[in-house]
Amino acid sequence: MSVAAPFFLWVAAAVALATVAAHLLAWRRPPTTVLPTARFAPERPARVVSRAVRPTDVALLALRVAMVMLAGVALAQPAFGRERRGSARVVVLDRSRSASDSEATDFARAAFEAGDALVVFDSVAREVPAATSDSITAGARLPVGHARGSISAALVTAVRAAERLARNRDSVEVVVVSPVTKDELDAATGAIRGRWVGALRVIRTTASQGDSTSAARPEVSAGANDPVAASFTLVGPVTGGARVRIRRASISAADSAWAREGGTLVAWPANADGAGRARPSSPDTAYAVVAEIDGSAGEATAAVVASFERRIVPPAGRVVARWGDGDPAATEATLGAGCVRVVAVGVPASGDLPLTPAFLRFARQMAAPCGPAVSLERASDSLVARLLPAQPAAAAAESLAPVEPDRGPSRATAWLLGGALALAVAELLLRRGVTSATA
Amino acid sequence: MRDGRSEASQAESRGALLDAVRGVKWPALRAVAGAIPGSHHSRMRGAAPELSEYRAYRQGDDPRRIDWRLLARSDRAYIRLAEDRSIVQTIVVVDASASMAFPVESLAKWRMACDIAVGLAAVAHTARDPVGVTIVGGRGVRHLPPRTRRGIVGEVVRALDTTTPEGTASLARALVGAPVRSRIAIVSDFLGDADDIRRRAGEIAAAGGEVHAIHVVAEEELDPPRRAMLAVDPEDDAIARPFVGDARAAYLSAFGAWRASLATGWRGEGLTFTQAVTAEPASRVVRRVAGAGTGAVARARAEGR
Repeated sequence: MSVAAPFFLWVAAAVALATVAAHLLAWRRPPTTVLPTARFAPERPARVVSRAVRPTDVALLALRVAMVMLAGVALAQPAFGRERRGSARVVVLDRSRSASDSEATDFARAAFEAGDALVVFDSVAREVPAATSDSITAGARLPVGHARGSISAALVTAVRAAERLARNRDSVEVVVVSPVTKDELDAATGAIRGRWVGALRVIRTTASQGDSTSAARPEVSAGANDPVAASFTLVGPVTGGARVRIRRASISAADSAWAREGGTLVAWPANADGAGRARPSSPDTAYAVVAEIDGSAGEATAAVVASFERRIVPPAGRVVARWGDGDPAATEATLGAGCVRVVAVGVPASGDLPLTPAFLRFARQMAAPCGPAVSLERASDSLVARLLPAQPAAAAAESLAPVEPDRGPSRATAWLLGGALALAVAELLLRRGVTSATA
Repeated sequence: MRDGRSEASQAESRGALLDAVRGVKWPALRAVAGAIPGSHHSRMRGAAPELSEYRAYRQGDDPRRIDWRLLARSDRAYIRLAEDRSIVQTIVVVDASASMAFPVESLAKWRMACDIAVGLAAVAHTARDPVGVTIVGGRGVRHLPPRTRRGIVGEVVRALDTTTPEGTASLARALVGAPVRSRIAIVSDFLGDADDIRRRAGEIAAAGGEVHAIHVVAEEELDPPRRAMLAVDPEDDAIARPFVGDARAAYLSAFGAWRASLATGWRGEGLTFTQAVTAEPASRVVRRVAGAGTGAVARARAEGR
């Protein structure tokens, strides 16, 4: 237990000693003796001051001393619990799609010490109960998630853990082990950082290789002399292509499972038995197809003007390409953390259409990762320093209600004062009883 | 209750007391009006052998008391007067209130009062005076009428020994029915209705009676313990006075003043007042009480009364 104002403890002890002394010198009733001529003695109060080795009214004395000491301890504002000793850290480990598998855990293991708190986060944050270094090691065995990371959510949980640790430690530091990509920051990050009055250190790791903004060749599974495969040979690396699989044949269960974990599975069937369904009417011809992978026409639009045989209708989903007459030519649907894209664009096996620049742009669009483009670009150092400063800004600390690092003393003070008040009432009742008994 | 040993020692004390007061005379303070022959000077002039004076015969005198020889010699009729002696009935009033049961361990005040009462009864009975006792205590008044029979002193002793002092007593009320032409000895600490007692005693004395006040004071009352204590009146719990600091000195002063005023008040009424401290022998007190009567008679004779 530590106290904020030990002066009151000394005062309470002095008052308690004075109370004991007063009880030793208390008014007491001398021993009664029968004396028929007592009436000739001067009429005085029946109680006289006398000293005694043993205090009088032990119960009353105990109540008074307890009341004084309780009030003194309450005014001294004690902080119960373990004594604050040493420093602690709250290690915030990024396990989102932005983080690399090994580097972040290495840094976290290096920063973590016994007694520290561990918070892992992707889109949500969770504190690992009774965390140890083994917790980080065990977590490292699990693959990183494919959800977007949220530094704000991680800070909320970390601040909560840091406030708890601050009750027992001299200083608590929040250590964020994360590449801190742009998509992990939001408008609330700076304000949430301001709620933590302690230090914060950011250990920036490299971003995940699964960055959808980095270029890579998509994995194409097609038969020999497949025109689409030929096209992707010419397309080369595409943005986020590392997490894109292109299947010309039927989709296997392994492909679905892979897509469910965040990959983009592009089903570009050569015929209707692969994906989608056969066109109810007889196959017709479309003369143009337009890819609108971002949902709006613009620079990202890739249009191919050629005669295409329309034999397949893509399943329902978000339309990513349309025929010249407006019918969906390609759709995609979310599957777990990833998606499955069905491209119902028949590519003639003969001719050089798959090799034309327009078709290559169309193929590049079809090989784009699901959803909007995910940028795992690391935030600039200046942005990180502004949003996640090592010490909270003075203005933020003043404008935001500071989080009381330890509410124990105030609660204990209230309880102690309540106890002292209860003892005062009991002392009053007991004193009345003693007075009536001695009267 | 007292055990057999204490009763035996008390009997020895009583025996020693009776031996000590043997031969003590307790004459009446003034000539008594009784007609029964006794040991006290009577106001009656009778036919006693001891000649007192001659007086001219007056109509109504008993012709048998005419000195016929003197009539024959001088032809004048004189009657022969003689100093007559009579008895006076004596009542010893003993205060048996709770204040007499002090000190609590020894009951010295009560024993002293009993011894004085027995001694006075014995002295009076020796003079063939009728002796009775009135014990006034918290349980009421126990009255043993004055008698001259031989065992009356023993009856007085038994009456006193079977009484336990307790409660509060009003001696003045007990004196209301007392015969006025008698000798009354009041043995008390006078801590009750002292003024009323003195007033009633004065009335008895004015009516021709004789009242002796024997004030019994315990040695512990004259010299209370010097330790701090809370003195409580046994007859009134409301009176509780602490003996601390200068309280003892104030007590001694007040108690002494009260005793002096008490004696002055009694003597001012023409009554005798004797203080008896428990430390002194009861026989000495009895002698002082009886001596007060002797001294008063001597003074009366010297003054020609």
